[in-house]
Amino acid sequence: MKPAAFDYARAATIPEAVAAMRDGARPLAGGQSLGPMLNLRLARPGKLVDIKRAEGMRGVALSASTARLGAALTHAEIEDRRVEDVTRGLLPHVARGIAYRAVRNRGTLGGSLCHADPAADWVTTMTGLGATMIAQGPAGERAIAAENFMLGAFTNALAEDEMLAAVEIPRLSPAARWGYAKINRKTGEFAMAIGLVILDGPWARVVAGAVEAPPALLPRAAAALLAGETSDLDAELAERLPHLSPADRKLRAVSLRRAIAMLSEAR
Amino acid sequence: MISAPLAVTLTVNGQRRQLLAEPRTQLADLLREQLNLTGTHLGCEQGVCGACTVLIDGVPQRSCISYAVDCDGAEITTIEGFDADPTMATLRQNFSAHHALQCGFCTPGMLVTARDIVLRLGEVPEARVREELSGNICRCTGYVGIVGAVCATARGCTPQESAAPIAAAALAAPAVAAPVENAAPRAAQPLKGGNSLTETIAIAAPPEQVWEAMGDLPALAACLPGAEITEVDGEAIKGRMKVALGPIKVAFAGTGTVRLDAATRSGVLRGAGRDGGTGSSAEGELGFALAPSATGTPGGTDVAITLQWRLTGALAQFGRSGLVADLVRRLAQQFAANLQARLAGEAPPAQPAPLNLFQLLWAALRARFGR
Repeated sequence: MKPAAFDYARAATIPEAVAAMRDGARPLAGGQSLGPMLNLRLARPGKLVDIKRAEGMRGVALSASTARLGAALTHAEIEDRRVEDVTRGLLPHVARGIAYRAVRNRGTLGGSLCHADPAADWVTTMTGLGATMIAQGPAGERAIAAENFMLGAFTNALAEDEMLAAVEIPRLSPAARWGYAKINRKTGEFAMAIGLVILDGPWARVVAGAVEAPPALLPRAAAALLAGETSDLDAELAERLPHLSPADRKLRAVSLRRAIAMLSEAR
Repeated sequence: MISAPLAVTLTVNGQRRQLLAEPRTQLADLLREQLNLTGTHLGCEQGVCGACTVLIDGVPQRSCISYAVDCDGAEITTIEGFDADPTMATLRQNFSAHHALQCGFCTPGMLVTARDIVLRLGEVPEARVREELSGNICRCTGYVGIVGAVCATARGCTPQESAAPIAAAALAAPAVAAPVENAAPRAAQPLKGGNSLTETIAIAAPPEQVWEAMGDLPALAACLPGAEITEVDGEAIKGRMKVALGPIKVAFAGTGTVRLDAATRSGVLRGAGRDGGTGSSAEGELGFALAPSATGTPGGTDVAITLQWRLTGALAQFGRSGLVADLVRRLAQQFAANLQARLAGEAPPAQPAPLNLFQLLWAALRARFGR
C-alpha cells in the first residue's frame, strides 16, 4: 500500500505556490488527511507542492478584534497555546481532541479546513466563531466567511489555483462562554456528532457539526439561549437536517445538550 | 509513471545522512529499506495504529504518512536512537516490570509516545494517560500493563517547559468577508435507509415538455455534472461518469439500460461501472416520475427522483455512506438546475471536468521524459 508516483516541489512563497497550482500541482501542508488517501491510492495527484514552509504561512497577527493565524500552524501548536488564544480556551480545547498527538504535531489548521471532512473539528469550530478564511490566488487575497467555505463533503469554496493562507478569528470577550461536545466511539476518531455553543454578551451561536454535510447553524436555538429560554432543539434539527435519520439526529441533539450544559462550567 | 528521486538530507539518530528518495517514499520506508532501521514498524499505513511513530524534530509524528522528501533537513530519532536517553531507560524497565508487551509489534511506537507523555505532561491521572495513548493500538495486552508502565515512569515528574510561543505581529486591518448569504435549508427528503435518496425537483415547464426533454438521453445526461452517455442502442446505453470527492477523483465507465414509460411519464435508468484507478465499482438505479406540480409554479412539473446506489472497492472502504449521500444530493440539485436551464432554452450546461484526461497524460509524459 504505497502512493502512486507523484512529483514534489517546495514553495518558498505563496505566489510560488499559487503558480505551481496553476500548473496543476495540488497543495500539501501536513498531509495528515491527504496522506492516507494517497496511501490507499484514492487520490492520485500528478504533483504536490509543499506550502507549509512558504513565507507567512505560519504567521500570527493580532488586532484589537481578531487574531489572524497562518494556515500552516499545527494543531499541537494551538493545543499548547504557543499561538495566542483569543477564544477563551475554545481553540486549545478543540485542538486537543483532534486525532492523536503524533498527527497533531504535523497536521495543520488550514489543511484540515480545506480537506473539509464534515466530521472534522475545525470546520464546525470556525463556523461557530464566525471566522473568516483568507484565500490567496493569482488575483491576490480573497476573504470568505467560514459559513460559505465548506460547500459539501470534501468540497471547499477555493478555486483550483487558490489556497488557504490564513484564518481570521474574532476575539471573544472576557465574559464569553462556550461548550464543545464531541461524540466518538474512540478517542481521536472522526466525530459521530459535534455540538458547539458560544455565548458572548448579545451574540450567540449554536452549531450542529459532523452532519455529513457542512455544519448547520441553529439560529432559533441561539436566540433562545440569549433569551434564557429553552428551544425545541429536536424540531429545529429535523428542519435543518432532514437528510439524517431520526437516530442520527438524536446523536446531534445529545451533543448539543452536552455543549449547552458545558456553558455553566467554570473555566 | 516513475518520479525521479530527489536528494534529501536527514539527521538520523544523530548521524547526518544524504539520501535519495522518490517523492512518494514515506519516511518509514526510507528508514526501514535504506537505513535498515527496522525497529520502526508499519501497521495500518493510514496514521491510525501508531506503530510507525518516530520523533521528527523532537516531537512524535507518523512516519507512514510523512514523505521522506517532505522531512528534508529534519532530525529523526527512531527507537534505535534512544540508548542513552534516561527517560527511555526507565520506560524500558517499567515496560518489562508491568508486562507491557507481548508480541512487541506496537512497542517501538508505544515507547516513543510514552516518552512524550512523560516529558510533556509529567505525572497526570491515568485517564489522561489513556487518552494520550489512544493513538497507539496494541492487540495483545489490553493496555493495562502499558498504562501502568507509563504511570509508574511519570510518577513525581513535572512537565517539561514547552517550546517558546510563536511571536505575533500587529494586524492593521482585519479582513471583511462578503456577507453570508443565508441559504435556505435545502429541500432534501429523508433518506430511505441505506444508500438511497429521493428528491423532488419543481420545474417551471409543463409535464409534456419536460417529458420530451427527458427522452433525449444524451442531452439529459449532460445535465448531470460529470455524466456522459456515449452510445444508445434501444434500451442499452453505454456511458461514463466522472465524480470528484475532494482529492478523490474517479471515472466510472460502464453500461446500463433505460426504460421509459410514456403512459405514466416515468422511467428507470440502471447502470453499473468500474473505475480502474481506484479499483472501485458502482452500480446504481435512477428512477424518475413526472407529475403536474403540486407546490411549485402552476402548470409546472414535479420531477420525483429516486436514486439507489452501491459502491464496492477502495472507495467504499474509505467513504462513509453519508458523505456519498451528500455528494449524490448535490449532484441531484445541479441536475435539476441544469435541466431547468435546458428547458428554458438557455445554453447547455458547461461540463465540469473533474478528471482531465489530457492533463493526466501530459503529467505522465512529462514525468517520464521531462528529465
